[in-house]
Amino acid sequence: MMLGERRKLRLRLRDFAALSAFAAVALSGALPIFVAGLFGLAWVVSMSGKRPFAGQTVWSVIVLLAAAIVLFGLAFRGALDLVIAAVAFATLVTAHRMLSDPTPGTDQQVLLASLLLMAGAAALSGDIWYALCLLSFGVFACLTLGLAVVEGPVERDEELPLSPVLRQVSIGVAIALAGGVAFFILFPRLSWNVAARRQGPGLLGGTTGMTDRVRLGGGGDIKTSARIVLRARLEPMPSATRLERYWVGRHFDVFDGKEWSGKGTPKAPTSRVMLGDVGKAIVQRIELLPAYDSRTLVGLSQPVYFGPANALSSGVPQPALLIESEGEEVRFATEANAYTYTVQSRENFGGEEESPERLALLSTAPVVDPRVTALATQIVGDETNHQRVAARLERWLRSNIAYSLELAEAEDPLADFLFVRKAGHCEHFATALAVMLRVRGVPARVVGGFFGGERLGERYVVRAGDAHAWVEAWIPGTGWTTFDATPDDGRGSRPQALLAQLIDAFEQLEELWRSKVVDYSIIDQWQFVKQLVRPPAGSKANENEAPAERPTTRTPTRAIFGAIVSAALVWLVWRRFSRVERSHPASGFLTELERRLDTLKLRRRDEDLEALSRRLVSEHHQLAAAVSLATRRYLEARFSDRPLTPKERRSLLDALG
Amino acid sequence: MSTWRERWKRRLRPPRTLKTTRVGRTYLVLTVGIGLGALNTGNNLLYLVLGFLLSIIVLSGVLSERVISNLRVRRLLPEGAFATEPFALRYEVTRTKGRAFAIRLSEADETLSGWAWIPTVLAGKPVVARADVTAPKRGPLALKELRISTFFPFGLFEKTRTVTLEDQLVVWPRRGFTCDPPRADHGLQTGEHGNQRHRDGAGDVQGLRELGDLEDARRVHWKKSAAVGRLLKVEREREDRQQYTLRITDDAPGEQLERACEETAALTRRLLDEGNDVGLEAGGRKLRPASGPGHEKRILSALAMLGFGANS
Repeated sequence: MMLGERRKLRLRLRDFAALSAFAAVALSGALPIFVAGLFGLAWVVSMSGKRPFAGQTVWSVIVLLAAAIVLFGLAFRGALDLVIAAVAFATLVTAHRMLSDPTPGTDQQVLLASLLLMAGAAALSGDIWYALCLLSFGVFACLTLGLAVVEGPVERDEELPLSPVLRQVSIGVAIALAGGVAFFILFPRLSWNVAARRQGPGLLGGTTGMTDRVRLGGGGDIKTSARIVLRARLEPMPSATRLERYWVGRHFDVFDGKEWSGKGTPKAPTSRVMLGDVGKAIVQRIELLPAYDSRTLVGLSQPVYFGPANALSSGVPQPALLIESEGEEVRFATEANAYTYTVQSRENFGGEEESPERLALLSTAPVVDPRVTALATQIVGDETNHQRVAARLERWLRSNIAYSLELAEAEDPLADFLFVRKAGHCEHFATALAVMLRVRGVPARVVGGFFGGERLGERYVVRAGDAHAWVEAWIPGTGWTTFDATPDDGRGSRPQALLAQLIDAFEQLEELWRSKVVDYSIIDQWQFVKQLVRPPAGSKANENEAPAERPTTRTPTRAIFGAIVSAALVWLVWRRFSRVERSHPASGFLTELERRLDTLKLRRRDEDLEALSRRLVSEHHQLAAAVSLATRRYLEARFSDRPLTPKERRSLLDALG
Repeated sequence: MSTWRERWKRRLRPPRTLKTTRVGRTYLVLTVGIGLGALNTGNNLLYLVLGFLLSIIVLSGVLSERVISNLRVRRLLPEGAFATEPFALRYEVTRTKGRAFAIRLSEADETLSGWAWIPTVLAGKPVVARADVTAPKRGPLALKELRISTFFPFGLFEKTRTVTLEDQLVVWPRRGFTCDPPRADHGLQTGEHGNQRHRDGAGDVQGLRELGDLEDARRVHWKKSAAVGRLLKVEREREDRQQYTLRITDDAPGEQLERACEETAALTRRLLDEGNDVGLEAGGRKLRPASGPGHEKRILSALAMLGFGANS
């Protein structure tokens, strides 16, 4: 490959390495959009072979410095996180160097700046995409460096075979990656934890929309999302594949005609929140994933107790405090990437006794279109029993209004839903039911949460598309009772089958990534080491166990066999890749020739063939001619492309006797 | 022949030396920074990056070792080289097995500046690389050791192996300014050009000698040849050129001797260019006046060895 082609290849590989590092940062979703745009532009220009900053060092550096001042000024004012500012600056430096003179030195600068980006991305993101970016960055960067090294200090326009270099470097990269993984597994996780920072939810961000308010009028795109936001292990574990249950998030008490909001008063942070008598409750060990992106705790209807919780910010679980907003929600006191907690629920729990003032507030009808009031009266008639009023309204809405996710903005969303479009999603159904209940004097509130749950392995998962809104009405003697006016087909998620499968596979992969990499801790290391070490024979722990359960102290045969097979495979692969050139055919002849000469005791110590030939000739030795001929033919065969035929080889050796 | 001190020095020297390049130093700083970041934050992804970076360092050591081992190097020395002028010093590199990349060859002797670069060496295919080397001063230069370095695989470190490879290079005096020529030894001579003996002119008979290979048979003195039974050739003075014998002693102090040598070398070149025969009497060694490129090299070599009697 000539110089021009080699340089082009090297620059392409370099640019792809930079792109991989940039992607790692960009996928964290934290990079300012203008920085991302500038890098994208620089990358396209660089790939097209243009270097506008070549020879413009002073001006381009001034521009870069100005960008640095702006970024760090923003960070100083608190408008930008310091780490994000640093990563943004490293991005701009990478882009700048990509557009400068394409020398091997510049390549190294681009790659070092990209390495900074990778480090920054590690601080900003914990996504599985990072692994992919790190892998591609490692491969491209190492290949670029390898090519630059072989090019030498002075580029020469001469033919140079690159495939051996690329092959050797590729093997090296594979070994380096394996070594990196080994280091990762075995290096003790002793962390000072003085500068841990929260990792973001990634490029896709949160999806639940579990906000402080529910605003009517928008579409219901979230229902098609298959992202898993919650995993729960239930005790006792139901046998159903699909769990048709409500997961309560937060309550909304006040409706202003367009949106619902809560009126709860936050209490002091505490580690546990008791909402009612636990009794025979279902225990749920819940993990809120980064896709959830909210601090509201969720539990099966009706939660009575929220137990100890942990927040996961940078892979290390930290105890988290809970804040109860009475009658509205229980939320985490601290922001984190993911959470784990325990919640206990009772299905027939109607809540604590509500005060008359609060019930009066919840039964006060908001100012709505008079047609809503008329409709409620028409449906309910002169019925006054709260249970039957709610049931009639629920039944009418289910059978007369269609479920639809496609909605446009309207001046009065409730009237538009009931009298114009006669279609809507769960928030419209819940709002209509709650408002009509209040019109009829029944205390009611809207509940935001999830409906459903799908069993995956030993846990139930809840998807973002399972987000749902329903109504709780106060029934005297029973307490808060759930009513859901949304038709059955609109309650759960509606992802496409293929998309759901893909998302499931991805989520499992991401789960593996998070549990085995992002959240890998010294405890996991200890477990790993324990697995490697055989328990000592006759240890106390073993004696207490039943003989059948006692772990064997002998190394299993299949483990030995597996180790031997693995070692043989590694050796074969190593041989395959490390044997770069087979031995030259003439080498065998040399070995045989030297063996014959040693047998004849002709050679002195450290005397090579040429020296031996000269000495024998000068001594007029009887074998001088034979040895000289054999030496000459060996040298010709080895270095002058004049191979020895088997017959000739035999005759030369036979001449030595 | 190396002295006992040199032999001990060689034994005590580490088998390989490692030097970080500029990019390597930055890389190490970044690695330390990322390591501190990982310890500070407990961020597992930083540990992953750190593991990869450390593996690259270890891998650099392993691959570079594979490159600089199993190499056989031979110097291809020129007949001589002028001091302070770059000359081509060639190395033949043979790989006994495997491949080698990004090799730099240089002399361990610091006074010889310059290096040769070899991008790739494949097993069984000798590669000749040229180094433009400059020797600083006149005299016999003992080349004892050779440095084989590589930046492979990532250019972060330069690993060097020093091998013993003894040779001697004659460094001729520096080419420089020449003064006026001395007086010629004899009168003008004429005769054939191109003959190295230069006693085949058309002047007076100087003597007889045996006819050499490829010499003109027309110069044979047939009568004398028949008398002794061997072919004898008549040698006559050449009248179209003059003979000079340049004299230089080796007892002058250091710098003066250097200047004298340089001046004599320059004078030799000038006189030979003008078509004269030049001889030399230097430090007890005599070269008869003659001409031709081979003769000039002989004079230059004699000048190079002047003052180095014990070593020469």
